[in-house]
Amino acid sequence: MSDPAAMLAALLERRRPTAFATWLADASVASGAALNRVAFEIAFASAGRRFGTAAIGSGATVAGAGGRTWSIAGWGLDEAARALLVLGGVAALPAADQPAFVDGLYRAGALRERQAVLRALALLPDPARFCAIALDACRASAQPVFEAIACENPYPAAWFAEPSFNQMALKAVFTGVAVARILDLETRRTADLARMAADYAAERRAAGRPVPTDLALLAAP
Amino acid sequence: MKLFDPHIHMTSRTTADYEAMAAAGIAAVIEPAFWLGQPRTHVGSFEDYFASLVGWEPFRASQFGIRHFCTIALNPKEANDERLAAGVVALLPRYLAKDGVVAVGEVGYDEQTPIEDRWFAEQLALARRFGLPALVHTPHRDKKRGTERSLALVREVGFPEERVLIDHNNEETLPLVLRTGCWAGHSIYPNSKMDEPRMAALVRQYGSERILINSAADWGISDPLKVPKTVAVMRAQGIAEDTIEAIAWRNPVAFFAQSGRLVLDDAGGPPDAFAGNTVRRG
Repeated sequence: MSDPAAMLAALLERRRPTAFATWLADASVASGAALNRVAFEIAFASAGRRFGTAAIGSGATVAGAGGRTWSIAGWGLDEAARALLVLGGVAALPAADQPAFVDGLYRAGALRERQAVLRALALLPDPARFCAIALDACRASAQPVFEAIACENPYPAAWFAEPSFNQMALKAVFTGVAVARILDLETRRTADLARMAADYAAERRAAGRPVPTDLALLAAP
Repeated sequence: MKLFDPHIHMTSRTTADYEAMAAAGIAAVIEPAFWLGQPRTHVGSFEDYFASLVGWEPFRASQFGIRHFCTIALNPKEANDERLAAGVVALLPRYLAKDGVVAVGEVGYDEQTPIEDRWFAEQLALARRFGLPALVHTPHRDKKRGTERSLALVREVGFPEERVLIDHNNEETLPLVLRTGCWAGHSIYPNSKMDEPRMAALVRQYGSERILINSAADWGISDPLKVPKTVAVMRAQGIAEDTIEAIAWRNPVAFFAQSGRLVLDDAGGPPDAFAGNTVRRG
């Protein structure tokens, strides 16, 4: 298992030792044996009931392959468990099968399952392969799904093309999400993003509606 | 009094319905998987439907302070399409393990064909495997016979009767169900199935034990406020508050809690506060 997987496993074992003892084995990702898809999906779905949805809490961080470290304090324990399974499931499959596997978990996922898949994307090998999933989540109307990719997640800044990143940043403002929650935004401020923010401000003024203060943060400082 | 509508197809209802339901005291709903009025022609259509029942629709309900759970199954109408049935049932394990899924359903009979027999029994086996209760639809046509066949099949396969809810009952089928260990649901409808005064009469005759009411509202003429309206009629007729609360809250909670997945802690509380979210923004 990769380092983030070992870190998540240690965290879950510390916080929920009883659940952890049987759950990884049930999921068939514990011992390097062949992945049993049905057992895996049942364990993936049952993570909420086994670990609960309490937040991990402050201090917990995780590191991606590129060395970027970020806080996972806001993840639920169920999301950490499901992220660990995604990492384990991907590791058990040939590289060519990995994108379809992750896409299947996302598409059949309940809200919190989708959130967990999205939070895990930046921890997967060759993350660019999973961009279509992240972009689909940016089109979600279920706000928790959108926030799982847009907020406290390094994936968009690292892997989105400029038009997609700009759309996501503007949608964040549009749906009332604090722009400060978009990781590495400072590396992605462009003239076009500034123009979109200015146009949106003008649209709000023309409609006689307040201009979100966060809009200014999308333009270069 | 908090109210529970344990059978309502919210996929086909509007946000105005959710607002009215919350205002009328409905704190929790169960959306059984059924058909969509027009038969589906691809297994993939069921995948998207099931994903919506465990994803989008619970989110939409949460915006109005309503807890949304669902039941998952191949329904008896579409079970008759041999191009679909096996493929849809093969999808079920993936969904039956999910958090908001509190029963296998709607299973049961529509035209009472041998094909329906087969998938009804196979899905009861799935309910047993996943530790879930079963929600059983009874047919519009030849209803009494269909109810008898359903009760007989439950007994024949040895599925525990206290984990079976037989739905859409009327004056003729309710006593059949109460003679077994199964629970009995009643769909209160504007013109068909069951209405409020008839339901109140049944409660006066049979009491509240193992009896539930629902609106079964969908895309046809139906009313998502039938649970509170039936409560009002029962109250006006002098039925005891404790009896009413058993029927409109405690019984559905007790039945579906057998799944181990009915989490109701703050149901009926304030809506999730997403400033400017996409459903309530208007």
